[in-house]
Amino acid sequence: MNRRRRTEILIKGSIELARGLVQSLEGKYEYRVTEAPNNGLVMIKQRETAKNSSFYLGEVLVTEAKVEIKGVLGLGIVAGNNEELAYLLAIIDAAYNAKLPETEKWEEGLLAEAAKIEAELMKRQGKLMLTKVNFETMQL
Amino acid sequence: MAYVAVKGGEAAIQESIEGLRYERLKKKEILEINSIQAGLRGLIDQIMSESSLYSEELASIAIKQTEGNAEEAVLLLRAYRSTLPRKHYSRLVKTEDMQVERRISAGFKDIPGGQLLGSAYDYTHRLMDFSLVEETKAEAMKWLEAYENRINEGSSPIEALPKVVDYLRKEGLLREYPEDSREPKDITTKSMAFPTERSERLQALTRGMSSAVTALGYAAIRGYSQLHPTVGELRIGSLPLYIPNPLSLQEASAEEDFYIGEIKATEVESLIPIVKESQGGKKEIIFEIGYGICFGQNETKAIAMSILDQCLERPSKEFPTHDEEFVLLHIDGVEASGFISHLKLPHYVTFQSELDRVRRSRRGGNENEDSL
Repeated sequence: MNRRRRTEILIKGSIELARGLVQSLEGKYEYRVTEAPNNGLVMIKQRETAKNSSFYLGEVLVTEAKVEIKGVLGLGIVAGNNEELAYLLAIIDAAYNAKLPETEKWEEGLLAEAAKIEAELMKRQGKLMLTKVNFETMQL
Repeated sequence: MAYVAVKGGEAAIQESIEGLRYERLKKKEILEINSIQAGLRGLIDQIMSESSLYSEELASIAIKQTEGNAEEAVLLLRAYRSTLPRKHYSRLVKTEDMQVERRISAGFKDIPGGQLLGSAYDYTHRLMDFSLVEETKAEAMKWLEAYENRINEGSSPIEALPKVVDYLRKEGLLREYPEDSREPKDITTKSMAFPTERSERLQALTRGMSSAVTALGYAAIRGYSQLHPTVGELRIGSLPLYIPNPLSLQEASAEEDFYIGEIKATEVESLIPIVKESQGGKKEIIFEIGYGICFGQNETKAIAMSILDQCLERPSKEFPTHDEEFVLLHIDGVEASGFISHLKLPHYVTFQSELDRVRRSRRGGNENEDSL
């Protein structure tokens, strides 16, 4: 699973998933925190559809952390103020970057969480579909 | 003219600040940040948009600290923002990728995917609901449970939601522009200089005061412009944010991007008919888009922005709404409220000199007479 999809599942899903993955590394490796969780900003670059150009929409608060495992660096970054998740994401990223064998067993948990996220999305979409207008043209 | 330093206000200022805290607390109620975040969505969205900083939590703290004073809250957040490092730039965000929560068109009745009303005040009776005075948490929980159960029963996947304006594109009724891949300018790192670039105008409009943007947009359609917009599409929803892998030494691939979360935004594409002269001098009407977008659910602001966007694309001294300096320099909340409120700061010396001149002229003396 590529990082784009993995980070999306870990952020949209329950923090319990990230906690569980990191738990499975517990006691086996040493982590070196090279950047403790801290706040910063990400500037959002937006495409506009009138003239097909781009501009800066504004900034979003993020929490970022960096952790090294076996000399390999990992980054954790998440929108909002969430130090624990940023730290867990950094460990998980470092674990994948260092190709730790444990990561091979993580796919299943990630896919199960993805299914839950999908089900939640379906509920939200169902709620939206209830507000779809059904036009009836009146016969005059 | 010189500035004169005076001192002596420290104790009074300290007491004034204590008094402000007293005003916030004197009714012996503590406003919880969670309650603000849960219940003041409209104010939070407005403040995030005007401060150009997306964080519901920070906006809620600012609202608590300023007792709901929007201009102060925006000032606090802009100041706080300037203390934080900008760590990354996002990948280009496209609203086609929006997880839509509401999507309507005023121009077309039957649009692919349908008119999805989502949640909006538009369809409510604007009558005071006094039952809210007695609302209890138990009742609210009961209602929530019943609502969620009902929703879960009727789940059905959403259809694809293409952009409404693609209709007109296919018919050739919309002026096409090739992709402009120039890097945008950033008004937070370099002040605007006139004439501005489009990226600067859009950035200034999206973080403008909601009321000021609305007022000027209203002026434009009331007669201080010659535009007649129709809302082609208004969509609200979540936009996913990604950053390229900053640890990668090579050109980072999209698959290795980091997803960082999502933001809610309102986007409006207004359709504006423009008379175009084709080859051979024949005149024909074609549509252009007026573009508006802002953080959160801020529909009026996004519509007004789409009108002003089109106004500013056609510079003219005939109407102030087409004058970019008039519009862009006056809609910024921090600049406008800062300049207006500086007038209450001590102007002892300047005012005394003005007073001297008035007194002299009353006495029939020469204004420039030094001896008086």
